[in-house]
Amino acid sequence: MSFLNANTYYIAAFGLIFIGLYIVMAKKNLVKVVIGLSFVDSGINLLLISIGYIKGGTAPIFSRPGISPLKMVDPIPQALVLTAIVIGVAVLALALSLVVKLYQQYGTLDIRKIRGLKW
Amino acid sequence: MVNPVLLIAVPLGLAFSLPIFGLISKRLEKYLPVIAMLFNLSLSVYLVPRVLTHPIIVYIGGWAPPFGIDLFVGPVGIFFSVIIALVGLLVSIYAMDYIKEGDTGKYHVLFLLLLTGAQGVVLTGDIFNLFVFYEILCISSYALVGYLRDRDGLESAIKYLVQGSIGTGLVLTGIAFIYGLYGTLNMADIARQINSIKPAANFITLALIITGLGVEAAIFPMNAWLPDAHSSAPSSISAILSGIAIEIGVYAIARVIFTIFGATDILSFVALVGIITLLVGEMSALKQNNIKRMLAYSSTGQIGLIVFAFAIATSYGIEAGLFQILNHSLSKALLFLAAGYMIYRTGSMEISSFEGMGKRMPLTSLGFTIGAFSLIGLPPFAGFASKFLIVKAALTKGGGLYTCLIALALVATVIEGAYFFRVVQVLYFRGSNENVTRQEAPVVALVPFFVLAVLIIAIGIYPGPVMHVLNSATSEFVHRIAYIQGVLR
Repeated sequence: MSFLNANTYYIAAFGLIFIGLYIVMAKKNLVKVVIGLSFVDSGINLLLISIGYIKGGTAPIFSRPGISPLKMVDPIPQALVLTAIVIGVAVLALALSLVVKLYQQYGTLDIRKIRGLKW
Repeated sequence: MVNPVLLIAVPLGLAFSLPIFGLISKRLEKYLPVIAMLFNLSLSVYLVPRVLTHPIIVYIGGWAPPFGIDLFVGPVGIFFSVIIALVGLLVSIYAMDYIKEGDTGKYHVLFLLLLTGAQGVVLTGDIFNLFVFYEILCISSYALVGYLRDRDGLESAIKYLVQGSIGTGLVLTGIAFIYGLYGTLNMADIARQINSIKPAANFITLALIITGLGVEAAIFPMNAWLPDAHSSAPSSISAILSGIAIEIGVYAIARVIFTIFGATDILSFVALVGIITLLVGEMSALKQNNIKRMLAYSSTGQIGLIVFAFAIATSYGIEAGLFQILNHSLSKALLFLAAGYMIYRTGSMEISSFEGMGKRMPLTSLGFTIGAFSLIGLPPFAGFASKFLIVKAALTKGGGLYTCLIALALVATVIEGAYFFRVVQVLYFRGSNENVTRQEAPVVALVPFFVLAVLIIAIGIYPGPVMHVLNSATSEFVHRIAYIQGVLR
């Protein structure tokens, strides 16, 4: 059990990533595919955050005396996640607007029916 | 001394101020990309001799690496920067007349953002920064592929978006691993510590990042989006995607393999994948009747050849790969731009509908022919020199594997010749010669054709100055210790 306890966040992060990948690969509805992409994003963000996370840690600001540097959370992954979230939002917004346009053109969201292009 | 950060800042600033200029006058919008790229081109060319003597390292915000983000303007960066600015400039001149439909303001904003992303990727020295610029490049290219909002464009844009975001997701996972293992994001600092961790962890990280970047570079199992996206986009965007975007993916892979990981042991696998990409691309191109799909598959093939040349990993090989990137950028941009107006005039993408184009649009056809001959590798065009260098590099490297692979590459060149000669034959030797009215492309489109054709021939005949830059660029990839010491002095 100690492996599970020590790596909860990593397991959850990779769980999310793989669930997302499964949704992208298996689902036939375009909106669900986009939701899968969002799962992958969240999983990666959780992975990044958990790299720098310390249980019971504080922000790395010497706001009051007696804070040990060992109890401070690494701020860089959080900055990375902030950027990654913004990028993820941009991609999702673009994806959903493309889905809206596709629905107007084809009248369906089923990817088996949206097949204008072939090899 | 001009600060190289302007190479990124000027296009980015102009991209976001473009709607404001659009409020003043709608006609102003289309000149702004030209101004930005003219600035970038002149600054890059101005920096070339200075960078060749000594790489310029810019600390963003004054924080020295590994704590801050740095821009490493070395020979490789400046070489790509010149290509991006040159092709970007010519395509933006072409687009002044070509892009009439839709919301043209948004087109120009996205176009500038795409080029900003490309510039950023080649100049940055920080791996997360590379990821951010890479995403800027990718997101704007997804949007541009669907620019016309027709069925094909939207379908290929969503395909490209789904595959591309999975790819960038893998890259970000790899970056998370790197940060977890080394506690730094600076490329030189990672490269310095790379041997301090056991190889298995490094291998997984490397695999994640290369697979992720390989989606954008369209290396074989991940190239399904490319023919759709490149053929459905407006032709000016196809030229940019083929001429710049996929090369940026190859650059990023080369940077990760050579500079960051110094991973020479996976290169024979990469060479094999490159040749498979080449063969799959060329054979798929052979059976296409749609000219843009044919050119798109040909891009896949060329990327395979470039990846193979890099995977030879001797200084000859890397030099040949960089030369092939230059040749492919110029030739494929010329081909897509010329094909764009031929499609516009005939209203069809079928190759058979181009009969008699040699009489109807002589200059455009001539441009197409020069591009095609250069890509096949006929002398005296630039393609001959680059393909010759690749063959020479592979034979110098020796060994059964590389000799077999280069033989397959030459077979692929024959296939390439077959389908390009077929198009050239249709252009000049098919159809009736009577009652043909000349309908040449407009002058703003002929200028890029002329410049690209002259460059292809000039580089083919007199490759000396280019080789000088390529030599320095090659040594930046080969001597990773010098790179590390240059950044972390």
